[in-house]
Amino acid sequence: MKRNKSIIVLIGCCFLLVALFLYFFYIPPATDIGSAQPIPFSHRIHAGVKEIQCAYCHPYVARSNHPGLPPVEKCLHCHKYIIIKHPWIEEEHRYYNTKTPTPWKKVNRLAEHVLFNHQRHINSEIKCRECHGAVETMDRIKGTQFQMGFCINCHQQKKANLGCWLACHS
Amino acid sequence: MNRRTFLKIAGLGTISITAACSSQPDETLYSLVHAPDDMVTGQATWYASTCRECPAGCGVLAKNREGRIVKIEGNPLHPINKGKLCIRGQAAVQAIYNPDRILTPMLKESGKWHAVNFGQAEAILRGKAKQAAEKGYNRVRMITEVIGDTLHALFTDALKKWKSEAPLVFEPFAYESLKTANREVFGVDGLPSYRMDKADLLVVFGADFLETWLSPVEYARKFKAMHAVQKGKKGRFIFISPYQSLTGVNSDLWIPCNPGGEAVLAFGILKELLSRNMGHDLPEGIGASILKQLAQFDRTYVTKRSGISEHQYERLLKALLSSENPLVLGTPSAGAGPNSLQTNVAANLLNLLLDPRLTLLDFQNRHRVETAARRIDVLDYIESIRKGASDLVLLNNVNPIFSLPPTSGIKEALDKKSMFVVCFSNFWDETARLSDMVLPVRHPLETWDEYGGHQGMVSTLQPAAGLMNDASTLGDLMLRTAYGKTPPASSYKVHLLARMFDKGKVSGKTGWLKTLQNGGGFGKAAPTDKKFKPSTNTDIAKTLSVTESKSDGIRLIAAPSIRYFDGRGANKVWLSEIPDPLTRVSWQTPVLIHPDTLKKKGWKQENLLRIESKTGALEAPIYKTESVKPGILVMSIGQGHEAYGRYAKGWGQNPLAVLPPATDPASGGPVMSFHPVSVTVSGKKKNLAITSGSRIQHGRKIALTVSLGELISGGKGKKQGLDMNAFPLALPLPEGYHPKRDIYPPHDHDTYRWSMVVDLDRCVGCNACAAACYAENNIGIVGEKRIIEGREMAWLSVERYHNPDRMEEIVFLPMLCQHCDNAPCESVCPVYAPHHSKEGINNQIYNRCIGTRFCAQNCPYKVRRFNWFEWEWPSPSHMQLNPDVTVRAKGVMEKCSFCIQRIKSAHTDAKNEKRLILDGEVLPACVQTCPTEALIFGNLMDKQSRVRKLVADPRAYQVMGYLNTKPAVIYLKKVVQEI
Repeated sequence: MKRNKSIIVLIGCCFLLVALFLYFFYIPPATDIGSAQPIPFSHRIHAGVKEIQCAYCHPYVARSNHPGLPPVEKCLHCHKYIIIKHPWIEEEHRYYNTKTPTPWKKVNRLAEHVLFNHQRHINSEIKCRECHGAVETMDRIKGTQFQMGFCINCHQQKKANLGCWLACHS
Repeated sequence: MNRRTFLKIAGLGTISITAACSSQPDETLYSLVHAPDDMVTGQATWYASTCRECPAGCGVLAKNREGRIVKIEGNPLHPINKGKLCIRGQAAVQAIYNPDRILTPMLKESGKWHAVNFGQAEAILRGKAKQAAEKGYNRVRMITEVIGDTLHALFTDALKKWKSEAPLVFEPFAYESLKTANREVFGVDGLPSYRMDKADLLVVFGADFLETWLSPVEYARKFKAMHAVQKGKKGRFIFISPYQSLTGVNSDLWIPCNPGGEAVLAFGILKELLSRNMGHDLPEGIGASILKQLAQFDRTYVTKRSGISEHQYERLLKALLSSENPLVLGTPSAGAGPNSLQTNVAANLLNLLLDPRLTLLDFQNRHRVETAARRIDVLDYIESIRKGASDLVLLNNVNPIFSLPPTSGIKEALDKKSMFVVCFSNFWDETARLSDMVLPVRHPLETWDEYGGHQGMVSTLQPAAGLMNDASTLGDLMLRTAYGKTPPASSYKVHLLARMFDKGKVSGKTGWLKTLQNGGGFGKAAPTDKKFKPSTNTDIAKTLSVTESKSDGIRLIAAPSIRYFDGRGANKVWLSEIPDPLTRVSWQTPVLIHPDTLKKKGWKQENLLRIESKTGALEAPIYKTESVKPGILVMSIGQGHEAYGRYAKGWGQNPLAVLPPATDPASGGPVMSFHPVSVTVSGKKKNLAITSGSRIQHGRKIALTVSLGELISGGKGKKQGLDMNAFPLALPLPEGYHPKRDIYPPHDHDTYRWSMVVDLDRCVGCNACAAACYAENNIGIVGEKRIIEGREMAWLSVERYHNPDRMEEIVFLPMLCQHCDNAPCESVCPVYAPHHSKEGINNQIYNRCIGTRFCAQNCPYKVRRFNWFEWEWPSPSHMQLNPDVTVRAKGVMEKCSFCIQRIKSAHTDAKNEKRLILDGEVLPACVQTCPTEALIFGNLMDKQSRVRKLVADPRAYQVMGYLNTKPAVIYLKKVVQEI
């Protein structure tokens, strides 16, 4: 009996450990806030507090599939004058001076066989936030793995194009 | 395996998967430091430039996406090609992103290659040149391909600084006999262009103007301007040659003659015309002296010697006498038999007789390839190098080791220890391997330059892509190495601009920008000093004698190839993967032999044939064809490389390697046809990588023809019915449905129903469309082995069908997904992966496809392709992939999409401007590039669209339309005529 007990404890411990492992691996508390970026850029400050328009930094959103990432020089449009001595801004200057592209981490993901056209959506007066959420409240962007159901729902509601190739794939 | 091991492995597996793999690895998005003004991510930027794949010099637009060239298209403003490109032009981008491109300079020291940096290589070049110049006169030699005026002048000047003579311009196809004939007859030692479009009859003695001859895209367009049916009329075209090249297949009458018999025939015709008193416009005395010289060329002699029938002779003569604007062309760029000069002289004289003012020849817009040296001068130059009269040899983008016969002495010349050979090459070709230093320079699409394919024309080149390495342009290299501390300009671009301003070709900065934007200055050509002046030399008659061939045995002809040109295309994989237009064989170089010869010798198709000459031997598989005269072997030039990268090395055979080194004494040109010492079958077999299932249609309605007479008379009013012969044209629109034929109701299409019209009368079978499709749609390359297994991936293939009664008559049929309204593929898929869109396109949903292949089985057109494997794009060739098209994975079916990405982008533009898509706004890649405009794309629901109007043409039909598939690709029958 005593022997059995220890086995039960052992198995119990194992289960507990696996459960803990799975918990920490998949649902880690307080780490589900999006990828850490090379420079801790805060969308909350820029888009929320300072109310900079999305299209200022993502300028191609209304004329291309891709919204575009701001080039390093664009950050320095302001940060040549604002908090220049901040260590992260100094880091930004370093990227600029050494002509190094900034390795941002991708947060919004779409399957490879889908071609999302930003231009069409923006020009049809779909707001950025309808897909990307309230970016102006987020320091880090958590990001989304967009699924087909998300697109289809909206396309059905708005009676938008549902042609497979004509809409999303090619 | 016992239970314990199984559990161990299972446990280990689970743990390692959970521990080692994070569910979502971070991907990185790099932001630029500076955003270039002309780049919008996700949008293409187009740069105008000039194609340098052959000396023709077509204008191109390079499509740049995020710094990479993903596609090249013809420049619509360019007068040479007017927006069109050939198969080789389409593949030009594969030289930039070639996995075998040399990215750093390589230096050979004591037989071993090692990398050096660009600075070191430049210093070595500078040092060697200085040393050579100090030694004395003419110690630096240079061989270059045909280049633009500016670069040529710079080379000449730089070589002068090194106390040496101007560079030798080497082209394997240098048109020696045509140039000599032009000098003899017209007094112009050059290559005028031809106003073929104004002719109503073409008589061609072998010139392959649809493949490689002078300027193929230009002449394909001009040819169809005269030869496509218009208002019930059609120009006529007679082709005379021992073998039927692609050009000959497009003729109305092919007269197979003996090799060298072209000249005899031309003499005979010349005599007939002169004796009909047509020569009074010739300079005094020439007519009479020619007649005297040609005394023996009466009809019986001519027909016997040239190996043609009296009937054919009669037809040719009658056609010439009855036409208003005949144009006679001479021999091909290679592959000409003996008597090439005589043929060309006679062809020129015929033009002079038939059209004394020579209105069809353009002496202003002469082809730039005329600057190439004659083969005899090339061999002399090499001999002088071999004799040791130089210390430094510079080679610019030439591969003489491959292009010249092995006994030409070039190998010994370049191999000499006392001499330093620098190869400005991007590839390890045969010549680079033998050199002492390989110094990569920028590809033409990465370069500032100018190159006018016609003399006097300005056609610009500009960098169209991000650079792959630190290589300079050859111009910059010359400026930095030859001029010491005082170069004439700080960079080649500055030099180029200054020279253009000097020559008055461009004025002012805005003028330059405009020229650059248009791809060149295309005003009227400046008058040149070379005016046509018929020669008054009565000696001309003396050239009119033919040499007798000593042997009647088997003769081998090395013909130029539409895919590889002279061999420079062999490292571009699309050109090997896309099969030859006539044989449909890819990756290999078969020997073309007539069935009668095969029967006589007891050989069979796919037998390996061993051909031996005094200089070498080769083995190639036999391809049976009626397109050659009995007793002739034809092989195309271009493959059989011993180096030059993974796609070239070891593939196919090189007929140039067995050719005799001698030049034709009359013209100084190479000999491309000869009698091999022995021709035997080795008993071995080689499977042909052939993509066509059958050569004939087996009585089915696939590629149809109609005679001109029947077309004019309108034919008999046919009764409509449900059988193969009486099935009506069923358009993929509601009106194409009929209760008698259809159970299901028509589709509801929304404003657009995309459709393509293919005019078989305009299609010349050049395969440019197929190459454009490979480039646009990221089609996988499967290689020889998989093609033999029948697994090629081409979305569009130009099928060729012989007439079973007269096998030399061929119809080309571009076959692509027919986007049927009643699509057989759609109804058999268990997962609905083929889906009919609201604009009529048959969508293949890749991520839905589970790979049952039922659809391919049920498709009567056999246009669906299955991905049996994961295809590879060895780095950096993946950089060319079109970002707007999904790269398909293993296990997925794919097929033509009508370039859906282009339709979508037209939709975007139209929606932004709040209008409908205009007719002609959507151009799928194949339609865009077709040199003869055989393909037309548009909306069938628009009653005013071009496709809708063409559908009403009496020639319109659907391939196997009687299956009631209601294809959206409507073909127009080829119009044939008897001469």
